[in-house]
Amino acid sequence: MKSRIVVAAAAPLILGLLAACGGGGGVSASSAADAHGPISIWYSNNTQEVAWGEQMVASWNKLHPSEKVTGQQIPAAASSEEVIGAAITAGSEPCLIYNTAPAAVPTFEQQGGLVSLSSFPGGASYIEARSGAGASVYKSPDGQYYQLPWKSNPVMIFYNKKVFAKAGISTTNPPLSTYSEFLATSKKLVSSGAAKYAIYPDPSSDFFQAWYDFYPMYAAETGGTELVQNGKATFNSTAGDAVAAFWQQMYAEGLAGKGSYTNDPFADGTAAMAIVGPWAIASYQGKVDWGVVPVPTTAGSHGDQVPTFSDAKNIAMYASCKNRGTAWDFLKYSTSTTEDGKLLAMTGQMPMRQGIQQLYASYFKANPSYTEFAAEAAHTIEVPNVPNSIEDWQVFRDAWSKSVIFGQQSPDSALAGAATQINKLVASGATP
Amino acid sequence: MTQTVPPAPEVTAAAAAASDDVPEIEPRVPRSWWRLIVLLFGSLIFLFPFYYMIVGSFQKTANTALSGVIPSPGNLTLHNYSQINAALSLGKALLNSAIFTGGVLLGTLVFGVLAGYALAQLRFRGRGLVFAFMLLLLMVPFQLLIIPLYVLIVRDYGLGDSYLGMIAPFAINSTAVFIFRQFFLQVPSELFDAARIDGASELRVLTRVALPLVRPALLTAMLLTFIGPWNEFLWPLLITKQQSMQPLTVALANYISTVSGVATNPYGAIMAGAVVLAVPVVVLVIVFQRHFVSVNIGSAVKG
Amino acid sequence: MTSIASRHPNLPPPEGERRPGARRAKAQRLTRAALGRHPIGMLFSAPYALFVAVLFAYPLGLAVWISFHRYFFAAPGVSVPRPYVGLANYEAVLDDPAVRQAFLNIAIFLVINVPLTVMLSLVLATALNAVIPFRAFFRTSFFVPYVTASVATVGVWLFMFSSGGIASNALGPLAPHPSWLINEQWAMPTIAIYVTWKGLGIFILLYLAALQSVPKELYEAAKVDGASWWHRFLSVTVPGVRQVTTLVTLLAIITGANLFTEPYLLTGGGGPNGKSTSPVLQIYETGIEQNHPDFASALGVILVVGVLLIVGIQQLVQRRQT
Repeated sequence: MKSRIVVAAAAPLILGLLAACGGGGGVSASSAADAHGPISIWYSNNTQEVAWGEQMVASWNKLHPSEKVTGQQIPAAASSEEVIGAAITAGSEPCLIYNTAPAAVPTFEQQGGLVSLSSFPGGASYIEARSGAGASVYKSPDGQYYQLPWKSNPVMIFYNKKVFAKAGISTTNPPLSTYSEFLATSKKLVSSGAAKYAIYPDPSSDFFQAWYDFYPMYAAETGGTELVQNGKATFNSTAGDAVAAFWQQMYAEGLAGKGSYTNDPFADGTAAMAIVGPWAIASYQGKVDWGVVPVPTTAGSHGDQVPTFSDAKNIAMYASCKNRGTAWDFLKYSTSTTEDGKLLAMTGQMPMRQGIQQLYASYFKANPSYTEFAAEAAHTIEVPNVPNSIEDWQVFRDAWSKSVIFGQQSPDSALAGAATQINKLVASGATP
Repeated sequence: MTQTVPPAPEVTAAAAAASDDVPEIEPRVPRSWWRLIVLLFGSLIFLFPFYYMIVGSFQKTANTALSGVIPSPGNLTLHNYSQINAALSLGKALLNSAIFTGGVLLGTLVFGVLAGYALAQLRFRGRGLVFAFMLLLLMVPFQLLIIPLYVLIVRDYGLGDSYLGMIAPFAINSTAVFIFRQFFLQVPSELFDAARIDGASELRVLTRVALPLVRPALLTAMLLTFIGPWNEFLWPLLITKQQSMQPLTVALANYISTVSGVATNPYGAIMAGAVVLAVPVVVLVIVFQRHFVSVNIGSAVKG
Repeated sequence: MTSIASRHPNLPPPEGERRPGARRAKAQRLTRAALGRHPIGMLFSAPYALFVAVLFAYPLGLAVWISFHRYFFAAPGVSVPRPYVGLANYEAVLDDPAVRQAFLNIAIFLVINVPLTVMLSLVLATALNAVIPFRAFFRTSFFVPYVTASVATVGVWLFMFSSGGIASNALGPLAPHPSWLINEQWAMPTIAIYVTWKGLGIFILLYLAALQSVPKELYEAAKVDGASWWHRFLSVTVPGVRQVTTLVTLLAIITGANLFTEPYLLTGGGGPNGKSTSPVLQIYETGIEQNHPDFASALGVILVVGVLLIVGIQQLVQRRQT
């Protein structure tokens, strides 16, 4: 029996060795680049985006019956990166995905799953003409564009006017621009019983949660520094420590909730404020009478020049695409001035196009509350396009959870540890 | 042959008479009351979540207070069901679950019985190896294999978004094979040898002798096999990208973790989905429960 | 009189009859030596063997191979360097505090779940093992959670154990703050209780079967000796079902070590500060979500080896007892 177990254990190893030298075929880039024909695309689950996507696909299909586009929602899962990564591995992803997170692009690139948009004639210039100088942060380390900056959701502070009024705080000019003001206002909101929590960012430990509590405020505090710059983590600094200390106080004094919450706490009135971008407005319709201000900083700055996190979602072309010519044409069609305007009107999210406030003046006149976001959109920072970027954010989030949310370590030392680890990760992934 | 009346047969006869299902109960009444109380208490704890599931699925607004345990007429609605049905087509998802589970049951019953019988009663080269692998398979967590399996099935075989792809890794349940083997081991091999001596081919021995015998073990094996694919959501999650192919477990899990926030009564909608997922099985169990006679399971497990 | 040879075809034919069937008999002997007495067994077990080889052995081998290399999944047709890195992945796994926490969590889970499962299922099975009114109802009610899909029962548990859910309301001031699944001390125990509740049905059935094979004479004898019901339970019932106890313990340990669905759904991942993560959840997160199947495979191999060790020790202990 023993020898049988040994053989049983060894056989898989041998089989595995044989298997490891396998590998399927891919799509040859040169022939695909000019090919035209039907393609498929994915867009997000967001109801408004789906509506926009469907009308856009329908109008293209009418004009190009021989190059039909099939659109569907991205398959639901815990995170879209997971779904796309798995699809890339299987070679089953569509040509274009209108829900590509910039943080995931380095991973997809490493997998060989992305097509360089700069490789198309006039590719880079199209991107830069549409988005302006801000497009350059979306270049990959090799200088090419593997993603098209599509739309942003500048993260700001939403506040519930009714709750604020109940607590006796001004609803037109609430004191929320400095840390001390923000803390005082928060305390007043909770102690007056107007709301259970002042603000309730999601405390879960997914890698992207830091984008909705730490990162917007870090952007504001540093005037626009990314998490990692020139291969080194930047947040182990006075600014980073200040943001961490602020949030630590919020959690320690019960002003922000520590437990995961199924519903939207701002929408159901549990929290008086939310730190989120305009995509959430649709879920507040009819539930909350909201106002919006920029995120606070230590010194306090006024106006919508305060930098924040863009929470951008981009479009990328994927390696299993056979008809890349059509895909590129469709990509340009879906990001034209007209379609960007429709995107803005139907979803309220900011297309990453220069001068949207002038181009779509009529929209902003009809929806003045969105003007704030349009102005902020010009002052956003992005996640750093570095190797192992998802893992970097996970390391950061774990350190943040332990120190800031659960108070088991001092934020300064936790962040310092995270910085060291992230430096190692970035260095290990950089191509020599 | 002298006629003796040995005491043993009487005792065994009495034991045999008493042995069908029921040990002697104490004549004192309190004992069975004790049992009843324990069992009642146990049943309550076991069934309460299901009761609460049903109550919760009909609530207009989630009532988490203790009073919410009793459904209040003013708070009743069917809206949760329509909401979750709008988000994910409940009928199609349930059908996908059924096809997935049915395929696995079929594969296990056909090929598992064959393998179990072969492992128990037949001597052939490679028998020990297959058995050793089976044991190993029982202990290895599926999640370790999931990515290589995914690449194999979706990329190399192109079975993504198909029922076959969903069923493949579960096609023959090794626990069932183990049960069949244990069961056949208990059957005295004289039965098979007698058939062989009479000139029957192995195939005939299988169909005429072994298969009719295995019925008791079938139910146990089916029960154990059924749970796997019915519960499984990680593998179908990876394999199916189209919403129309997803079994209800995947659809409901995604609903819980992502979309439920926008429903009017998120918990209510989740409960509605849970009820739809739970009810068919519970009904089946209640209808077929008289077949779950413990003797079947016992004989399959011994040894 | 029929010849001996025709009645017993396996015997070598007597001297005079050797020639006609000699070659066939020799061929039979050779195949028997090469393929075993019932070579058709290979045919019967072939589908299963094929299934195991293709869908288990090969991925397992690949996973083990991956654990010794630097590996991430790439698009088809893309070749990326996959250098051999020896034990580097294993070192990374053992150094990772999240992994250590995961193993600790599983230890906590097993300490709660296994004894509770064994005791409760034995007690309930003993209680069921009699003629009592509504016996079928009780038997069914214990089995219902087992056959229900985990996602469904998780849904209602999330509802019951949410902050402000009835579990907290029922306990009033005694309820833990923060509530169960988001409480660092209570997250894993809550999961342990859930898994115990869910799985008890099949174990009760197993014990029921075993109880019915405990000879009644033993109870009679114990009663005659004047033993109380508690002593009868300890000295007759418990030893009588020892084999099933071993089986139940084994199954509970294997299920516990491979815990995934419950942490994933009940605590949305690793839980409060990673206090309800499990090794298999880590495999999923690192292997699939973060695209580090090398790390995940190393962790998986360590887990499997651990489970095999535990099972092996358990078998040794059991063998020594009998």
